[in-house]
Amino acid sequence: MSAGFIQYLPYIVEGAYWTFALVCGGLALGFLIGLPIAVGQVYGGKTVRTILNVYVWFFRGVPLIVLLFLFFWGIFPAIGLKLSALTTSIIVLGFRSGAYQSQIFRGAIESVGEGQVVAAKSIGMSELQSIIHVVLPQALRIAIPSWTNEYAILLKDSAICFTLGVMEILTRTKYVTVSTGIYFLPYVFAGILYIILTYAGTKVFNIVYEKLRIPGFIEGEM
Amino acid sequence: MDSDIVLKAENLHKSYGKVEVLKGVSLEIRRGETKVIMGPSGAGKSTLLRCLNLLTKPDKGRVWLENVELTNPKVNINKMRVKIGFVFQEFNLFHHLTALENVMIGLTKVKKIPKKEALRKAKETLLAVHITEDLWDKYPAQLSGGQKQRAAIARALAMDPVVMLYDEPTSALDPQLVGEVLQVIKELARKGVTSLIVTHEVDFALEIADEIMFMYDGRIVEKGPPGEVIFNPKHEVTRKFFEKISKLYGVGKYGVLGRISPSII
Amino acid sequence: MVFWEEFLPALFSGIVATLKLLAVAMPASVVLGVLLGTVRVYGGKIVKTIAAAVVVVFRGFPLTVTLLILFFGLADFHIYLTPYWAAVLGFTLCGGSYQSEYIRGAIRSIDEGQSVAAKALGMSKTQEIIYIILPQALRRALPGISNELIYMVKYSSLAFIIGVPEMFSIAKTFNSQWFMPIEVFSILAIVYLAMTTIVTLGFRLLEDKLKIPSTT
Repeated sequence: MSAGFIQYLPYIVEGAYWTFALVCGGLALGFLIGLPIAVGQVYGGKTVRTILNVYVWFFRGVPLIVLLFLFFWGIFPAIGLKLSALTTSIIVLGFRSGAYQSQIFRGAIESVGEGQVVAAKSIGMSELQSIIHVVLPQALRIAIPSWTNEYAILLKDSAICFTLGVMEILTRTKYVTVSTGIYFLPYVFAGILYIILTYAGTKVFNIVYEKLRIPGFIEGEM
Repeated sequence: MDSDIVLKAENLHKSYGKVEVLKGVSLEIRRGETKVIMGPSGAGKSTLLRCLNLLTKPDKGRVWLENVELTNPKVNINKMRVKIGFVFQEFNLFHHLTALENVMIGLTKVKKIPKKEALRKAKETLLAVHITEDLWDKYPAQLSGGQKQRAAIARALAMDPVVMLYDEPTSALDPQLVGEVLQVIKELARKGVTSLIVTHEVDFALEIADEIMFMYDGRIVEKGPPGEVIFNPKHEVTRKFFEKISKLYGVGKYGVLGRISPSII
Repeated sequence: MVFWEEFLPALFSGIVATLKLLAVAMPASVVLGVLLGTVRVYGGKIVKTIAAAVVVVFRGFPLTVTLLILFFGLADFHIYLTPYWAAVLGFTLCGGSYQSEYIRGAIRSIDEGQSVAAKALGMSKTQEIIYIILPQALRRALPGISNELIYMVKYSSLAFIIGVPEMFSIAKTFNSQWFMPIEVFSILAIVYLAMTTIVTLGFRLLEDKLKIPSTT
């Protein structure tokens, strides 16, 4: 087995830019969708909750690859949107991550003790104000560890986007294997690359978590 | 070794890090005897008991069960432990098994007794500790503290051990439940079950013990018949210990001493 | 109407293929998970390191990469797995590694007293693990395990990248011939939703059945 593929390694590593685009885009969109959903599921009325529950059930229950194909080949063209594979992937990842993140935030919001809200109201805050100024700051901190996990999941799921041809790490690895005829080492290299990126990202989140930590506050305990 | 001696320990030492908990303890107990170990917290009583069935490995010293040296690494300690019944302060009933299953599991899995016979033996033993049929299918989480501890005694007893070791069996129980457990231990002792009990229950010791061993700071300071050790001790520390009890708790059945709570000492 | 007449039977064969995959991979992954989790708590240094390495690799590699390595990569060494077996192996390794973390955590959460009591009865370490620790740990790990198995139902769709004729690959092939993506992939989505919902409910029932009764 010749090691002729080594010259292609930088080409594979370059894919990290697209991978990050997918991951960061997906996480960010997921956050913008997930947090409101969580608030709606905790504080909303019955109709609102039902609609949101259906959204969550759908985007968590359907496999990512089915969603990608459904939107890229089906829904977006049908409504006249001509979006690139990258953009579609980010949107689908975002919709899906939003569903998962909503459950993270919901759990975090629910674990902020009732006493906090009551205290906020007793000094005259409205429900909305108590949510924004008292509940969310605590809930978001509680959610960080689970959110870090979501990053790790999203990073691995981004590899699935190779099926739409997005030029991220796995797509490039596949091209390299096909053109060099060497399969094992390039794929292992890609795998290790994903592990490094997961580790690095998790470390960053942990540093942020430590920085934001409220001294003496044990998450979820009252 | 004298064939009547069931359990014997010689010069046991045990340290945890820099702290020496057992400083050379020796004891022996004969068939049918009931001996009680008493002393302040931290004296090493629990550690001593756990060294006797090698749940805790002593740093120095030897232990014999009947004629077999337990501290000999060549000995199959699991087989030997079958012959020693151990009752824990925190009961340690197996959470995922009913009371009946708790008593049976040692019989079926360790002693490899056929299920039918194990079932019979288990039921017999449970009745002997006054656990009635309606409780047999209950899980530990559904039992009271006293019921749990009696079930734990049954679990150990069903194995037909040659000696029963009780490590502060009532210390974790609410006061009103202590009596039912002590009653069971007393009945077993009177039936001839060789028993070594670590406890703070002085009235109980006076009633049932052939000998009391008083432990202080990792050593057995003195031992003798209960009446002597409690009312007429030879050593200052012993006297101080039992005096404190009478001062704190007042007059009991025997005119001087009552039951004490471990945390006070 | 001809579309439906052709699509539904084809989809059905895809469903069967998916189920065949899951029928082996699901139990196998649980077994592997229990093995890895137990070994990582009780094993000697060498075994612990090997198990830890397995878990790090197969949790760290995306499932897609694992599948491609097993099917295409091993061929470099003249090991030729069929698509089916490469997929089963891939799901087992990946799912099992994730599950081992739940099981490991569950084992460590069992209070020490259970272990000491087992020893006092004369049980060997093996007996203690099998009769006392694992029955309790598996109950505690059940929510995590069922979560991973539900993921497996969804990620089974990835088996298509190594040529397994399961549900997704059938749908994809159909779509490339008939160009009806919305119908094809919507139906597919509904089938997956039905499967995951059934499995979720199934596990909830199982959890209730295995619960240890208490007075609370």
